[in-house]
Amino acid sequence: MDFTLIVVLVIVLALIFDFTNGFHDTANAMATPIATGAMRPKVAVTVAAILNLIGAFLSTEVAKTISGGIIKEGDDGIQITPELIFAGLIGAIVWNLITWLRGLPSSSSHALFGGLIGAAIIGVGFQAIDVGVLTSKVILPALLAPLIAGSVAYTATKLAYAITRRDIGKPDGRGGFRYAQIFSSSLVALAHGTNDAQKTMGIITLTLIAGGYQAAGTGPETWVITTCALAIALGTYTGGWRIIRTMGRGLTQVKPAQGFAAETSTAATILASSHLGFALSTTQVASGSVIGSGLGRRGSTVRWGMAGKVALGWVLTLPASGIMGAFAAGLALIGPIGILLDAVIGTIVVVAIFWWSRRSVVSHHNAINDIDDAGRVVKIRKTPRKPPRRDRKKVAL
Amino acid sequence: MNIVTEFLVVAGASLLAAAVVVSLYSLGLRLLTSAGRIPTVEPAEFTGAITILTAAQAAKEAKRAKKARKANPLSDGQKRAALLGAYACFVLCASAVLYGVYLIVPALHG
Repeated sequence: MDFTLIVVLVIVLALIFDFTNGFHDTANAMATPIATGAMRPKVAVTVAAILNLIGAFLSTEVAKTISGGIIKEGDDGIQITPELIFAGLIGAIVWNLITWLRGLPSSSSHALFGGLIGAAIIGVGFQAIDVGVLTSKVILPALLAPLIAGSVAYTATKLAYAITRRDIGKPDGRGGFRYAQIFSSSLVALAHGTNDAQKTMGIITLTLIAGGYQAAGTGPETWVITTCALAIALGTYTGGWRIIRTMGRGLTQVKPAQGFAAETSTAATILASSHLGFALSTTQVASGSVIGSGLGRRGSTVRWGMAGKVALGWVLTLPASGIMGAFAAGLALIGPIGILLDAVIGTIVVVAIFWWSRRSVVSHHNAINDIDDAGRVVKIRKTPRKPPRRDRKKVAL
Repeated sequence: MNIVTEFLVVAGASLLAAAVVVSLYSLGLRLLTSAGRIPTVEPAEFTGAITILTAAQAAKEAKRAKKARKANPLSDGQKRAALLGAYACFVLCASAVLYGVYLIVPALHG
């Protein structure tokens, strides 16, 4: 196959992945402020999109080391080809869409790693994978990230309630936490932009270097940064409302003090880890924080059934996207026809998932308040008028 | 640095940062309430978790806040001190957050 064509295909696919990454992760920053009413749903996704856009331009440090050494590369290692990157991206996109359809906040980075690892195993063999790095950079953080974020959020929630606690009947001013939520969730969105957009920049830069269009060891080009920033911002603006619903009320009922504590913990954990050169999944940190803050508020309940489903999604992400990446790589290795087949099957799956999602639409209208709408209709008129006489008769019958 | 130490450092740093920011803001709110400036929030039409649902309820909430203000046992000086303390807490909290932003932007610290 013409090398230029495969490079173009990888770039297009990488941008599609970036888009799915954006809408998959809107919930990380914006589910709690939407749930507590700190921001209107549309305003929240717009703010998140703008901050993701800005965030993508702020830092490109991580972009150079996208595979982070998990797949051995370089002169003495195994060269990963654009065909394999293409196959890995298909695996990652399909898994991202499946988890979105199920409303599960799974890690986009794990989907990407899984897809690439699966493709590399089929294309090169198991020797392509550095198990030590895989354990220390992906598996261990996956286990520990929710635990760290959860305990931080638990403590922060306890603190927030303890400090603002007053005698019963006295106003505690906790509604004021909603103002703070606007800032804390924005910080999470900004952190997300600096982290996640770079993964796609890294993929595209890798492909350009592999194709000989860019000198090795150089950072991402300006047009790569711009297109990636736009793709992730557009994805964020589209909003993964299904996942927002899971994070905003599926795991626990979020109150403003709790939401603020959860977002601050998410932001602090992401910032601390990336500042100390340790990559934690934004999604797992955010979900862990929401559950931790639920445990920290007296009288609140965590829906463990849903939390279990979310955790299952995390465990499955790496192997599942790996299998999909491997399958796509198997086809891609046949040659141009295989790559064409990959593209066709990928498109069919994506269209099918979108078609399936239309059967029950979740949007900014009903992501959080579909049940509350019903409740509000009832609550608006506290003392309903007596029904007309003839209706009363009907009731009596 | 081995992996366990790294995790402990991340956990410790996150805990410290989140605790400082949340405590400062909560303390600010507490002092603001003590000073008689209870934040009452506009009714949100779309929300799930907020208890204020209608304008009438919001007015009731504001009335309650006003009553609490009147019943405040603090002297005027104490109220002023509490208000000043509240603002100081908010400023410190904002500085902590800005420092966080500074940390995630490598361009700012080389």
